[in-house]
Amino acid sequence: MRIVGLIGILALAAPALVISQGRPTLAFRGDAGFVWVRSDTAPAGAGAIRLRGPVLGGEGRLVFKGFSVGLGLSSGTLEAADQGTAKRDLIEGRLLVAARPLPWLEMSVGPFVRAYVTDAVTERWVFWQARARADAPIVTSGLTSYVELWRAVSSQVNLVAGAGRVQGGEAGVTYRPPKRPFSLRLAYRVDDAAVRGGGDGSQMLEAISLSVLVGER
Amino acid sequence: MTRASVVLALSLLVCGARVSRAQSASELLRQGVQAYQALEYDAAAALLERSLRRDSVTGLADSLQTRALTYLAATELFRGQRDSAVAAFRQLVLLNPRYRPDELIFPPQVTNLFQEVRRATRAIAVAVPPVTELRARLDRFKARVLASSLADVTVTLAHEDGTPMLQLYSGPVADSLLVSWDGLTAAGTPADDGRYILRVTPRSPAADGPRARQVVLDVKQQPPDTLPWPPTPALLPERTLTGPAFQSLAAGLVAGAAVVALPSLMAQGKDATGARFAVGAAVGVSGLVGFFARKPRPLDANVRANASQREAWKRRVDAVKAENAARLRTTRLVVRAGPETIAERGSP
Repeated sequence: MRIVGLIGILALAAPALVISQGRPTLAFRGDAGFVWVRSDTAPAGAGAIRLRGPVLGGEGRLVFKGFSVGLGLSSGTLEAADQGTAKRDLIEGRLLVAARPLPWLEMSVGPFVRAYVTDAVTERWVFWQARARADAPIVTSGLTSYVELWRAVSSQVNLVAGAGRVQGGEAGVTYRPPKRPFSLRLAYRVDDAAVRGGGDGSQMLEAISLSVLVGER
Repeated sequence: MTRASVVLALSLLVCGARVSRAQSASELLRQGVQAYQALEYDAAAALLERSLRRDSVTGLADSLQTRALTYLAATELFRGQRDSAVAAFRQLVLLNPRYRPDELIFPPQVTNLFQEVRRATRAIAVAVPPVTELRARLDRFKARVLASSLADVTVTLAHEDGTPMLQLYSGPVADSLLVSWDGLTAAGTPADDGRYILRVTPRSPAADGPRARQVVLDVKQQPPDTLPWPPTPALLPERTLTGPAFQSLAAGLVAGAAVVALPSLMAQGKDATGARFAVGAAVGVSGLVGFFARKPRPLDANVRANASQREAWKRRVDAVKAENAARLRTTRLVVRAGPETIAERGSP
């Protein structure tokens, strides 16, 4: 499956490189956010785990005409919302290849890795995501809203039960101040990952983030 | 069938006879001229007189009549019949006051006699172009009045029924005179469509004086070509549209609602935090901001540009209006002239 995904990424990236006549440009995004995690994936009777904490991250993109390749990373330490749960580190990594078939629509694919790290164990999720994002300008290009939905075409977790359906979405607003080289973004994100055969077992992650974007995406 | 054949045969017979007589008139003229050139004056006189005796239908055309009369007068002169020669020349002058015998063909005693008769014979004629196009009041229809000797004439224009319309000239004509008409009636309006009579009449009619001449004029008004109105200018919008404002509002509200609804859509049955409401509200407020930022408002620069465009267009319209009014005032007339004829004595 990974091989198929990689071939897909290359198939998307190759035309971008071939048809690109201008020089590729770089775009960066820095994120500061707060994350809430509610997990029911623990063995039965252990109850739900609630975690929360700030995260910092960033993403870089190489942008061609209508195509882009990006790499993102974020990290933070999550504290338990209730007593008795050990804190853990959250690390997320993402590689994507994106294309804009329409000015307001971006389609992207790529692997996504999320890890919860404690002193004893690391819980690692790996998804192959297919994402679709629609942009809707509010005030020309200065103020733009967007909605992005994604679903995992393949998912894997190093839990006994294994990963089931994984999907999520993100929506927010981007503001580009006049005559400034950067944009600001406010977003809300939610991911839901079900555990295969685990009954109601699932893990939901919510995040709000404030981002600074530099360069054309 | 038999009756039709008989009618056809009779028609052909009558027509054939007329053609034959017409041909014989010109043939007689030709033979008369040959006899004159052979110095056989008696024969020439007889032949030429016969050619001139034909009736008007089968007789000689005016140009041939003038030729026949000239040769007849010369023949009579050489026969010693001076009075007959004078009579023939007099008839010739009355027929066509402008005619002059060719001095290369006829000797001086013939042409001198002709001049003598011409001076003694008072004849008038009128010559007009076959077709004249004129703008009433601005252009002129021109007619030339010719007189064989000094004559007092009146040139009038009358309706077809003889009702006088306008007097164009009254006075002496020594040799020729150009008379013009501006296409207007006595009331100062362009002449209506119809037939008019241009008549040249001697002021003192006498039995032996010149006979009045006339030409029938067929007058037709032509509607003037008017200019089309100038096209209306392509004006710029003077206010921003309402559409973008509502699009902004919709984009913000839909995105804000999406933020609030995301957990319900993507993580059904899970308890989401209230953080999404804060973000959703912020996105929704951005939609409101967009709505007010793009709400319809006057575009002053466009209003100014449109005002100057409207002013320029109005000036063009006024110019076209004035030009069309001027064109409508100057009606075009087409005047077609018929043949010159001798007016009946006593006709108005």
